[in-house]
Amino acid sequence: MRPLPHFLCLSLLLTAPALAQTEYPLTLDNCGVTLSLPAAPERVVAIRSTSTEMLLALGLGERIVGVAFQDGLAAEPWTAQSAVLPVLAEKLPSPEVVLEAEPDLIYAGWESNFSLEGVGERATLGALGVATYVSPAACRSIVPPKLSFDAVFAEIAEVGALFDAGDAARALIAAQQAALAGIAPDPRGLTALWYSSGTKAPYVGAGRNAPQMMLEALGLENIFAGVDDGWISASWEAVVDADPDVIVLVDGERNSVAQKKALLAENPITSQLDAVIHQRYLVIPFAAAEAGVRNVPATRDMAAQLAGLSFTP
Amino acid sequence: MNPPRLRLFAPALLAILLASMVLAVTLGPADIAPMEVWQTIGHRLGLVAESPVGRLREAIIWELRLPRVLVAAAMGAGLALCGAVLQALTRNPLADPYLLGLSSGASLGAVIFLLLGATLLMPLGAFLGAGAAMALTLLVTQLLGGVTPSRAILAGISISALAAAGTSLLIFWSVTADSYREILSWLMGSLGGVVWGEALPVLAGVAVLGGLLLVSGRALDAFAFGETAAASLGVDVARLRWLLLGGTALLTGVLVSIGGAIGFVGLVVPHIVRLVTGSRHRLLLPVSMLAGAIFMVWTDTAARSLFAPRELPVGILTALLGAPIFLLVLFRYRRIT
Repeated sequence: MRPLPHFLCLSLLLTAPALAQTEYPLTLDNCGVTLSLPAAPERVVAIRSTSTEMLLALGLGERIVGVAFQDGLAAEPWTAQSAVLPVLAEKLPSPEVVLEAEPDLIYAGWESNFSLEGVGERATLGALGVATYVSPAACRSIVPPKLSFDAVFAEIAEVGALFDAGDAARALIAAQQAALAGIAPDPRGLTALWYSSGTKAPYVGAGRNAPQMMLEALGLENIFAGVDDGWISASWEAVVDADPDVIVLVDGERNSVAQKKALLAENPITSQLDAVIHQRYLVIPFAAAEAGVRNVPATRDMAAQLAGLSFTP
Repeated sequence: MNPPRLRLFAPALLAILLASMVLAVTLGPADIAPMEVWQTIGHRLGLVAESPVGRLREAIIWELRLPRVLVAAAMGAGLALCGAVLQALTRNPLADPYLLGLSSGASLGAVIFLLLGATLLMPLGAFLGAGAAMALTLLVTQLLGGVTPSRAILAGISISALAAAGTSLLIFWSVTADSYREILSWLMGSLGGVVWGEALPVLAGVAVLGGLLLVSGRALDAFAFGETAAASLGVDVARLRWLLLGGTALLTGVLVSIGGAIGFVGLVVPHIVRLVTGSRHRLLLPVSMLAGAIFMVWTDTAARSLFAPRELPVGILTALLGAPIFLLVLFRYRRIT
């Protein structure tokens, strides 16, 4: 059973530092790389919206010296705060752009952000004295266990520990746990498609990552739960064959919900789906669809949308 | 093979192609019995009044599989034909729409039109791109001192690299993280999600342009002996060359606009066919079309079924199968280059 080690890990993180502040130097393993911090980071560069929102949610906005590769501004209540953050690059920044901001920590939402095409290799940055942290759910060098809310809370606790912001992390986790406990799984035994993007071959949520985690909490059976991956390029034939009861639409800046609805309604194949005929859609913002502090609020929001859908024939 | 057997060769391949298509429609991620497939097709064609097949299963067969299998066949036939014609025109055994830069040029043209928001005009963009790439390749070949196999291939590779770099640059500047994946899969060559609205123009294009190119077989046979020989046999060399080059560019544009740059089919299929038919184009061209169609029907069926429910870009499979054969071709022609 998987949740147990998670829970242990979480309770260790939650209880151990509860007594005291983080002790530096701090050393921990992050996605197969040893991360050492001589002191709490003061200058952070956040890549991807999930990283920025995690820092803002922990009250660490003042330490952000630059953001990159964001999906628009952060959600409420952090929108105003995120609007004034220096944007280093609209897309993936080059090493020079990031190093110019003189960060002591780079916090990336995707492991691939640390590559030769992006910010640079983690080892190279480490040699320059810049610590690097990858959202553990996005780790690919070491395959993380199937994502759970406990793992999301563990990331909140870990980031809290990095910055000696344990109290803020514990308060946030407690609030999210309470909110999560208030979400009742839908009892109707419905199936769902998690539709992220794509037209010719839909990019969909499969059985391992944030989509599956949120669908399970909603009481929805993911039609691609059996595929052992986070997201996959699926075939429309498999979607039509499963004929999901509801479709979760990811609302991105370029790939908006309006575009997706139009595509589903116009395409001669998808327009035949029950969920499309009856407009049974749940909407989730793009930045909330990956592991992070917005998963719980987004799940609660989708639960409310789901409760409003009628399935009487 | 002796001529009487050769005469039977094309009808036999046609029968195999039809059987392949009939079989391919019954294969796919969804578990649908062959009987349901026939009932659906019979129902849609008005042969059967009532069909017991459910609405969604009928949609899978009629809206997904049928147009896709037909487009795969048209794509394979068209690419193999373009390859065979280009190999004859440039007297270059290594010529194909991919290596001569046509596919990359077509991709660049299509991506430009896509980013300009003119999705419906993508075939036009692909044609203009293919035409421009072909013109550049031929221009460079002429400037190097006339058409020889190695010059044409070197010029084609440079133009192809240039167009590919242009496409990458456009993607780098314009595409966000999430939509990158789809353009990438299109660039690798994929027939995923083809609907009737897209399939019909391609089928018509391959039928019309393919027919026109096919009748050029006799003239191409004259061409094979060199331009002087062709002229003495009564062929208007310059006019024919431009007609055929224009035709292949147009056909490549039509094919790339729907399936992306699917490589190696145009190169490899004519070579394998030539082993059997010899290099008489009157036979080589139609047999290449049939063989190319059979090859694509099966590779595309594999692309959509092997890793179900995942969708694999078929260009990966054609390259995987085509590249080793391409190497064999290189060895066979090493004396020429």
